[in-house]
Amino acid sequence: MLLGITVIVFLIMSLIPGDPATAILGAYATPENVEKLNRDLGLDRPMVERYFIWLGNMLQGDFGRSFSLNRPVIDEVAERFSATLVLAGTSFVLCALFGIAAGVVSAVRQYGLADRLITFAVLIGISVPSFFLGMIMILFFAVRLRWFPVSGMYAIYGGGDLADLLHHLVMPAVALAAVAAGVVARLSRSAMLEVLRQDYIRTARAKGLRERRVIFGHALRSAMVSIIPVLGLQAGFVLSGAVYIETVFQWPGVGRMLVDAILKRDLMLVQGGVVFVAAAYVLFNIAVDVAQALLDPRIKT
Amino acid sequence: MTFRHPTRRGFLASTMSSLAALAAAGAMPRRARAATPPGVLVVGQIAEPKALDPAAVTAVNDFRILVNLYEGLTRYKPGTLEVAPGLATDWTISDDGTVYTFTLREGVRFHDGTPFDAEAVKFNFDRMLDESHPYHDTGPFPLAFFFGSVAKTEALDPRTVRFTLNEPYAPFLSNLAYPTGLIVSPEAVKRHGKEFGRNPVGTGPFRFVEWRSNEAVVIERNPDYWGEKAGTEAVIFRPITDANTRVAEMLAGGIDLMVEVPPTSLAQFRGGGFSIVEQAGPHLWFLILNCKEGPFADKRVRQAANYAINKEAIVNDVLEGTATVAAGPIPPAFNWAYNDALEPYPYDPDKARALIEEAGAAGAKLVFYVTEGGSGMLDPVPMGTAIQADLEAVGFDVEIKTFEWNTFLGQVNPGLEGKADMAEMAWMTNDPDTLPYLALRTEAWPDKGGFNSGYYSNPKVDELLEKARTSTDQAERARLYKEMQVIVHDDAPWVFVANWKQNAVTSDRVKNFRLEPSFLLHLASVVKE
Amino acid sequence: MTAFLQRLARNRLAAAGGAMLALIVLVALAVPLLPLQDPNATATAERFARPLSEGHLLGTDHLGRDLLSRLAHGTRLSLAMGFAAALIAAVLGSVLGIVAGFLGGRVDNVIMRGVDMLMGFPYVLLALAIVAALGPGLVNALIAVAAVNVPFFARNIRGVTVALAGREFVDAARLSGMGNLRIMAVEILPNVLPVIVIALTTTTGWMILETAGLSFLGLGSQPPQADLGSMLGEARAALISHPHVAVVPGVMIFLVVMSINLFGDGVRDALDPRLGAGALTRPLPATVVDRPAPPPLREPDPPALLAIDDLRTEFRLGRRVLPAVDGVSLSLGRGEAVGLVGESGSGKSVTALSVMRLVASPPGVIAGGAVRLDGEEVIGAPFEVLRALRGRRVAYVFQDPQATLHPLYRIGDQLAEAIRAHQPMGARAARVRALELLRDVRMPRPEDRIDDYPHQLSGGQRQRVGIAMALANNPDVIIADEPTTALDVTVQAQILALLERLRRERGLSILFITHDFGVVAQLCERLAVMYAGRIVEEGPTAEVLAAPAHPYTRRLIACVPEPGAGRRRLEAIPGLPPRLDALPPGCAFAPRCHRARPDCGAGDIPLRRAGARAVRCLHPETTP
Repeated sequence: MLLGITVIVFLIMSLIPGDPATAILGAYATPENVEKLNRDLGLDRPMVERYFIWLGNMLQGDFGRSFSLNRPVIDEVAERFSATLVLAGTSFVLCALFGIAAGVVSAVRQYGLADRLITFAVLIGISVPSFFLGMIMILFFAVRLRWFPVSGMYAIYGGGDLADLLHHLVMPAVALAAVAAGVVARLSRSAMLEVLRQDYIRTARAKGLRERRVIFGHALRSAMVSIIPVLGLQAGFVLSGAVYIETVFQWPGVGRMLVDAILKRDLMLVQGGVVFVAAAYVLFNIAVDVAQALLDPRIKT
Repeated sequence: MTFRHPTRRGFLASTMSSLAALAAAGAMPRRARAATPPGVLVVGQIAEPKALDPAAVTAVNDFRILVNLYEGLTRYKPGTLEVAPGLATDWTISDDGTVYTFTLREGVRFHDGTPFDAEAVKFNFDRMLDESHPYHDTGPFPLAFFFGSVAKTEALDPRTVRFTLNEPYAPFLSNLAYPTGLIVSPEAVKRHGKEFGRNPVGTGPFRFVEWRSNEAVVIERNPDYWGEKAGTEAVIFRPITDANTRVAEMLAGGIDLMVEVPPTSLAQFRGGGFSIVEQAGPHLWFLILNCKEGPFADKRVRQAANYAINKEAIVNDVLEGTATVAAGPIPPAFNWAYNDALEPYPYDPDKARALIEEAGAAGAKLVFYVTEGGSGMLDPVPMGTAIQADLEAVGFDVEIKTFEWNTFLGQVNPGLEGKADMAEMAWMTNDPDTLPYLALRTEAWPDKGGFNSGYYSNPKVDELLEKARTSTDQAERARLYKEMQVIVHDDAPWVFVANWKQNAVTSDRVKNFRLEPSFLLHLASVVKE
Repeated sequence: MTAFLQRLARNRLAAAGGAMLALIVLVALAVPLLPLQDPNATATAERFARPLSEGHLLGTDHLGRDLLSRLAHGTRLSLAMGFAAALIAAVLGSVLGIVAGFLGGRVDNVIMRGVDMLMGFPYVLLALAIVAALGPGLVNALIAVAAVNVPFFARNIRGVTVALAGREFVDAARLSGMGNLRIMAVEILPNVLPVIVIALTTTTGWMILETAGLSFLGLGSQPPQADLGSMLGEARAALISHPHVAVVPGVMIFLVVMSINLFGDGVRDALDPRLGAGALTRPLPATVVDRPAPPPLREPDPPALLAIDDLRTEFRLGRRVLPAVDGVSLSLGRGEAVGLVGESGSGKSVTALSVMRLVASPPGVIAGGAVRLDGEEVIGAPFEVLRALRGRRVAYVFQDPQATLHPLYRIGDQLAEAIRAHQPMGARAARVRALELLRDVRMPRPEDRIDDYPHQLSGGQRQRVGIAMALANNPDVIIADEPTTALDVTVQAQILALLERLRRERGLSILFITHDFGVVAQLCERLAVMYAGRIVEEGPTAEVLAAPAHPYTRRLIACVPEPGAGRRRLEAIPGLPPRLDALPPGCAFAPRCHRARPDCGAGDIPLRRAGARAVRCLHPETTP
């Protein structure tokens, strides 16, 4: 599957007009200059040949060198990727936690005040573009109140410890989690409503269990069976949303890097980044499947 | 009634507390931390630099760091685009204009302690130009063609270096002042090879400290600088790609200085602890018209386009006064070559309609290439939209096609023939020669390797430009350029729209800051209180 | 279809969303007719005019264009784009999903691999790359947004199709010689259509939003054309200084997305065949009680362990009120087994569940009467008191052990949980006790079974677990709600024997809910027959069986095949049980009764007692 993705990337990148030399030279990109520079960059060989060279190198752990950043792809991607993991991972945890919590509260208190408030908040969450939300948060919490720094991952002077990271992480993580949390909340709510009507919930209540145990032990556990696959999908959304959030909050992550790399036609960097992201996605989905199987004994074959 | 609130305690409590913990962990102890430390200047850049090797980069964004680390043989006299001595104290030019001999400044050392001498200069130019040079592979050097006329470089003695050109080339001295001509330490190149771009060593007033990818480039005062020492202990360049975020950082005190302030945000900084700095530079924003085919093959229609577009509205309203109306192909910043007598085409839709009527081009359909953004392009989409509305108002039917910058260049540079009638373009150059020579001559049509994408051709203009390029007498060159401007103004191969005034905002703790017409960012004299 | 529309209209939120959406769509359609300014006319001197300024109701944007006009045109375009993109994605995704799900095997593998691959690629980058490759323009942006959504549709639809492909009607179609293509079009498609519609409504809003994201990255529509996304994207540059330019399209996007989502939720609920009435609701922890003061305690004779007194339970569905249990009184002595018999819908199960307030609520409401356990009123007791009684003094055994056991917990854990809910005890001790319980109910090889999940057990074993769970806290009363209905005849007999044995050994009281007189005859001393929410006959089992007084009872008994009695004519009762919201006056059974006379429908008929027996009939079969 990863191989397939690299082929797709190569194909798409070869379909995109414009080449790296144009990107570097900008206004100075005469055909002559472009040709010379492409030769210097080793881009004058046929696409297929370059693909196999790249593939061969990658299998040996060499992801090539980014011409636009003038450094080995693996260094750049590894740095950027860990930044994205911190951001997306936190967001993912937040969105899962808040989404499920909101969904459960909203389902259990169906038609109550909490349900209405949460439903409304969720609707706002899923209908506000995340870059917009991010910008508003910056204006309010960073510029007006000065609670949080505007952008970046660490303080530019001093800092660098965990508290510093958290301090920088709060706003982008929340902004990124908002949309996904909305989706998860909606789904959790309907999954909980569905489960709460099941006969085994009545059984649990007939046993005289405490209501908390009924909701969390019995209902939520069953609802998770349908929530978890959606969490898997949300991981993809969070990664994509990271592109916007990383731009707005100047987070040094892989999403923004990939956009830049596509715009600069930096094939090696796009390839390296996409392979990492796709691998993470695949791993995550395997984890989701495992979690699913652990949760639901009926899946085991 | 506990059973009616079965969930509130368990869930909300746990999730709320986790967020609160996250918030508290960061927010509380650092609330006062917003301001940057004294003596350290934090500059908001528009992007992460590509490399800190002057020969390898092309972006103004990177130049802004480089000119503080490195110096060239010549430099621009502060506040002008005139060439002044840099690492070379003086020079002589042979009468035929092909041999330049420079005397180098004494007692200059690179940051790594190695001496700056004629061999070092020779190393720099050979590395860039000689494909068999052992360190040519530290490239590629995309702007090496600036020095394409250099046939050979010789170190006559440690203090003297001689360049021999294969033809007279007037812009040579100003190209040496351009960042591509900045001198790097040969020893450092040898030591770091391809990684030199991340370990820069020059002779400038600041020396390199560290480059934290996507976070900051830090440079500090060079205590051994040959000239006046820098006014700040250190400068931190932060890449902040999103303009809104940059503005927000500036407002929040996270940076002391930002460049390329979006026009609509300038109002935020008027008064209240900030100062706005502006400086006109050698920039021209224009529309390439397709002179080869379609309605713009007729000179009257091209002039009509110049009359039809309300340039005052564009520079004052769309660009909020961050630009001035352009009159001709050479920006006024090249004051010695600029023709003051030239007046911009006035906004006169009636005259435009009359000319269009006369040429029988009423209702003509035009395809207009617009870019999403790009170096020097200012606000290309709103500007293009305003231009489109103006042209529609005089009876054209204009269809906009937008492209992301690199695709746009890929479309425009090979020529507009068969694709479009007009395209946006902007150039920032260091010599009055560059733009007209590369984009107005017949010999510069795209199929001949130039940027004359609209196929303008006027033998008189060709002749004037060739002459001006080979003359080493500035007065003579000025005369030739002025004549050329009049002709081109009348032929109207382009719509001359705007000359950008570069802007920057500083917090009022920053003193002695000035923008240069060269668009370079010299920070040595800046002080922060 | 009308039922669908009715259900949709009944959901107030969905109706509001639908109305708002309709309004927006109408206005969008009418845009060319409205007296709006030219959306593309620039007047840069008047840029960033505030809302409500002269000549510009919503103000102007960065080029001085009228925001109201651009908003109207932009909404029109965005809606069209959103719907079109969603439709394209839905069609392509559904085709892929159906083909993959239906054909399975290698085709499925190849398609789903491709889909997974696309999903592994962050969608923004995919859209970015597609637009970069295809060139700019609205159509290409539309293609990009649609393309990145194809995988989501394909995945969803495939899942549904796989489930359908194994169903009988598909096999039948295959056997009848239908081609694959035809089966997919005729049999599968109609069945996945609701899922497609639901996915469509939820993605449309998202698509509109996503165009805003693309224009953030500079890939929107071509200027000067307005769509909501690029309006927002263009306004971003002035977000700090002139927020209203961004807020106007932002609010519109919110309204569109919200109305689409509300409407979509309504459509989903209305399409969902499982929901008879209105939206999905969840039952509260205990049935709502809304009754006048409980009836005074009447000392029964002999003193009862569990006394149900004039119990009334209703289902309140919107304005309709269905009296499911209408004044039922029944008592259960210590060690006694009483059968409560009736057709489905007669109210017998609701009566049983009302005892511990387990009727799903909403819609269930206990509207009157009392339940007393050892003389203590239960219905009005605080929840914690009630909870302490559930499972400890009154335990339930439910009908379908497949549905009533939690599918994700091992049976041992479920048993242990039941024990520990009322008896503080460590996990290990609870497990020992659980094992004991399994032995008590004669579970074969309990040591092996205790760690099984419900789905690993047979139906009879599951019901044994259900009974073991009911016994966990040595309750006084077991309410068995059709415990054997879902089981084979032989297993049924074993379970009945088990219950009988437990009752004898432990002195349990059992309230046995069933429709089967054979079962009652085997287990119960006394029985009560229910019809349309009321008890119509009551008495000792043997007597009633021998000489049923109520015509309904007689008919019910006639329905039971008696083992060993040879071929006997089974009489079905003609007609259907009455609708509870349209009960005839007088005897509810009269319309189906062969003995009915005019006076049967005249007025309320009391339950007349004579000794141990009672009957609610003016013209009984026999006079007890």
